[in-house]
Amino acid sequence: MRDPLNKRLPRELKSDIGKHLVIFLFFVLIIGAVSGFLVADNSLIKSYDESFEKFNIEDGNFELYTTVDEDTMSAIEKDGGIKTYENYYKDEETKDFSSTLRIFGERTEIDLVDIWEGDLPSADNEIAIDRLYAKNHDLKVGDTISAAGIEFTISGIVALSDYSTLYEKPSDLMFDNDKFGVGVTTAEGFEAVRDNHIHYSYSWLYNKKPKDDEEAKEKAEDLIKVLSENAVITNYIPAYANQAIIFAGNDMGGDKMSMIVFLYLTVIILAFIVAITTDSTINKEASVIGTLRASGYTRRELIRHYMIMPVLTLLAGAVVGNILGYTLLESYMADAYLGSYSLPTYDILINPEAFVMTTAAPFVIMVIINYVSLSSKLKLSPLRFIRRDISKRKKKKAFRLNTKINIMARFRLRIIFQNLPNYITIIVGVLLANIILFFGIAFKPLLLNFQESIEDNMLAKNIYVLKMPAETETSGAEKGAMLSLSTIEGKAKAEDVSIYGVETDSKYVRLTDHSKVYISTAYRDKYDIEEGDSITLKEEYGSKEYDFTVGGFYDYPSTIAVFMDLDSFNETFELDKDNYNIYFSNNEIEDIDDSLIAAKINKDDLTKTSRQLIRSMGGMMKVFEVFGIIMFVLIIYLLAKIIVEKNAQSISMTKILGYTDREINGLYVHTTTIVTVLSLICTIPLVDFILSKIFKIVFLDYSGYLEYDVSPLILIRTGLMGLAAYICVAVLLNMKVKKIPLAEALKNVE
Amino acid sequence: MFLELSQIKKSFGEGESKVEVLKGIDLEIEKGEVCVLLGPSGSGKSTLLNIVGGIDNADSGYISINGEKTADMNEKALTQYRRKHLGYIFQQYNLIPNLNIKENVEVGAYLSDSPLDVDELLNTLGLYEHRHKLPNQLSGGQQQRTAIGRAIVKNPDILLCDEPTGALDYKTSKEILKLIEEVNQKYGNTVIMVTHNDAIKNMADRVVKLRDGMVRKNYVNETKTPAAELDW
Repeated sequence: MRDPLNKRLPRELKSDIGKHLVIFLFFVLIIGAVSGFLVADNSLIKSYDESFEKFNIEDGNFELYTTVDEDTMSAIEKDGGIKTYENYYKDEETKDFSSTLRIFGERTEIDLVDIWEGDLPSADNEIAIDRLYAKNHDLKVGDTISAAGIEFTISGIVALSDYSTLYEKPSDLMFDNDKFGVGVTTAEGFEAVRDNHIHYSYSWLYNKKPKDDEEAKEKAEDLIKVLSENAVITNYIPAYANQAIIFAGNDMGGDKMSMIVFLYLTVIILAFIVAITTDSTINKEASVIGTLRASGYTRRELIRHYMIMPVLTLLAGAVVGNILGYTLLESYMADAYLGSYSLPTYDILINPEAFVMTTAAPFVIMVIINYVSLSSKLKLSPLRFIRRDISKRKKKKAFRLNTKINIMARFRLRIIFQNLPNYITIIVGVLLANIILFFGIAFKPLLLNFQESIEDNMLAKNIYVLKMPAETETSGAEKGAMLSLSTIEGKAKAEDVSIYGVETDSKYVRLTDHSKVYISTAYRDKYDIEEGDSITLKEEYGSKEYDFTVGGFYDYPSTIAVFMDLDSFNETFELDKDNYNIYFSNNEIEDIDDSLIAAKINKDDLTKTSRQLIRSMGGMMKVFEVFGIIMFVLIIYLLAKIIVEKNAQSISMTKILGYTDREINGLYVHTTTIVTVLSLICTIPLVDFILSKIFKIVFLDYSGYLEYDVSPLILIRTGLMGLAAYICVAVLLNMKVKKIPLAEALKNVE
Repeated sequence: MFLELSQIKKSFGEGESKVEVLKGIDLEIEKGEVCVLLGPSGSGKSTLLNIVGGIDNADSGYISINGEKTADMNEKALTQYRRKHLGYIFQQYNLIPNLNIKENVEVGAYLSDSPLDVDELLNTLGLYEHRHKLPNQLSGGQQQRTAIGRAIVKNPDILLCDEPTGALDYKTSKEILKLIEEVNQKYGNTVIMVTHNDAIKNMADRVVKLRDGMVRKNYVNETKTPAAELDW
């Protein structure tokens, strides 16, 4: 015979539909989001991983100052154990909006192009452009785009397999798919574009693929020696270090763990909430449980009975969540990646791992937490249940409170101590919800603040990097020198460091003591460097190392940079005494030929990181805000509701005694208010601290530095949003208290 | 007349399942009187007590306390009525489980502008040494004494007792009755006590017997027996 107790389940569901619905929706939301994320992540990663073979992605590329003859290239290929492929490109400014379009010729052998929409170009005036770049500028197949004096018709929207992340230069702190895009033309179309912006870039494939990054590194080090013996290299980047190729893959894998941790933390909190609500139900049904136990029902049968509903709620939430995860939310989550990266086309793949992580693991967590809680609660004898004598702390003496504290305050303290597990769960829940909420609220202002700080601290409005010395008459232009070294890989990945040499009387970089070496504040903050410390940097494409003693810090918040006197610079790097290769200038330099200018660094270059992060993640931040608020409201409401329900009889009794609703709310709702407000006050600085640490750890893996500087106003705003959300909860709780009938106190008399 | 009940009617349910619990109760009680409501189960005595206590509404009729009719009161006024005039004692004590004994009494004291001295009252109730204990650490009799303390600490005009000895043994029941008697004598509160124990009627000034929602007998007890001498 089926357990007749099961017949209660639909009735229980109906009688407490609000609670079950809230928990169900919570599971749907969180499991759906994580499932969607894992499915999208897995499908995109698979497609990305396969793209290396499918589109024959290079093992690296180098750029030469000029072309070399066939014999030289054969020697390079032979000595380096590689096969090279011409992959020339031309960087052109677009006419209708401010951006650089990198135009490649036809690709038939290496770094092939994946078509999202339309076709590859077939006519000389046609171009297929990157999907993200097209999206950011609202360009579609059939539209036109003007660059280098040519009006191209867009034949297709594509992804270039070696530009899954649109990094313009390997040294860029961040990609920028708004100001930089890539496209391919026909071979003839490429020839038709002017040649003065041509880059003689060659991609290579090893004849024998390296087994791992270690070997790839060794091979790359050998290859650069071969190259430098045979030609003048202007750029060299093996695939394993090329952010344009690897960044998306690293990032997509990286978010998975945090999503899963987030899911499990939420499930644990929900499991505790469920355990606390079940505990409250057991208290209510104590005499029934005692009777059933006395009649012969086993503890196991009752545990099973009380576990069915929460487990079914979870499973129903998991089913609906997974369905949403594979449909609506998958595309939403995929958009988060597709909004940042130029990934190849992909198919949605069934992901068994996602099922295990979003359904099986939460199921196990739920079962364990509830089983432990129930089996401990149901250990008591049937008689104690019948007598409703089920408090495990019963025999302990009540702790004393100072009687000088007024009775209402003591009453509130007793309520807090009586419901400590609920309040601890509220505190943890508020912390978790605040992390999400705070991240959502703080992210954009943090980046805007950072952007502003960069703009305020720019060395000059423009820095012109010259290919060779050239004089200018531009007013305010000041000579200087710059080169790139690299940090030594350790705790953080190796990254580029810009070394600046500045004139003694520089108007742009004012060093207090020109005999000392200064580092940027970004460098100091990222690597925790103190004055007097020694730093070692090495050549980017060589092995020579340089030691510097840090003599001070220069306020430059985004770039990892070193500043020194120009003479010391030239001496340190064994350059001519009067060497220079950059101009600092607040005015545009117009009297130097473009062909002599290797690069121009301005505000747009320095604010790439923040702009890209705002663009790619800004939408997600709203989701974080909303989810944080929902989580905040639900956790507090569910737990505070239990406190009110648990004390229904006392509340009713206080009503009978003549306490007003206001006084009763002052006791039973204000305790939750006190705990919530204290949690907010205590957790917001804690969240601020946790996020600052997370930021620091996360950005160790990125080049450059994003200063964590959150205005106190953001802290206040987070607190106020939490408070506003709590006011809604308090209104609901007040209504609930008001609804408790006076007759509740008489129930056990019957 | 201090407390006047006029044509109190009350029914539960609707249609065919409608049960008329009180069928028109008229009753007058003097200030300071101990009134015992007697009757078998279902006679309506607890319902009547709840209506007097303002925790249930009559369908018709009115209750007047010192000339103030409860039927005219809204919810707020009813709360104030309970706060000012009433003390309640239940069979199951209904103490607040997470407050200690003294705090439970203080919960009552808080409601009054001139409450009795809590410590002194605890001494009188024989609870002083238990004042820091939680209710579930005490015996039924001690818990009921605490409930009495909570009810009388605000020195209410009327003490409503719903089967105050229903859950207690003979000896403890007598102690509680003695206490109620002492309280009545010391503070002059009107006591309305619901019981099905016939012997308790002997300690009352007025005895009201209910059956099937109607007053069957209402008389002044000329020969009161002290609670200590009650026997059953």
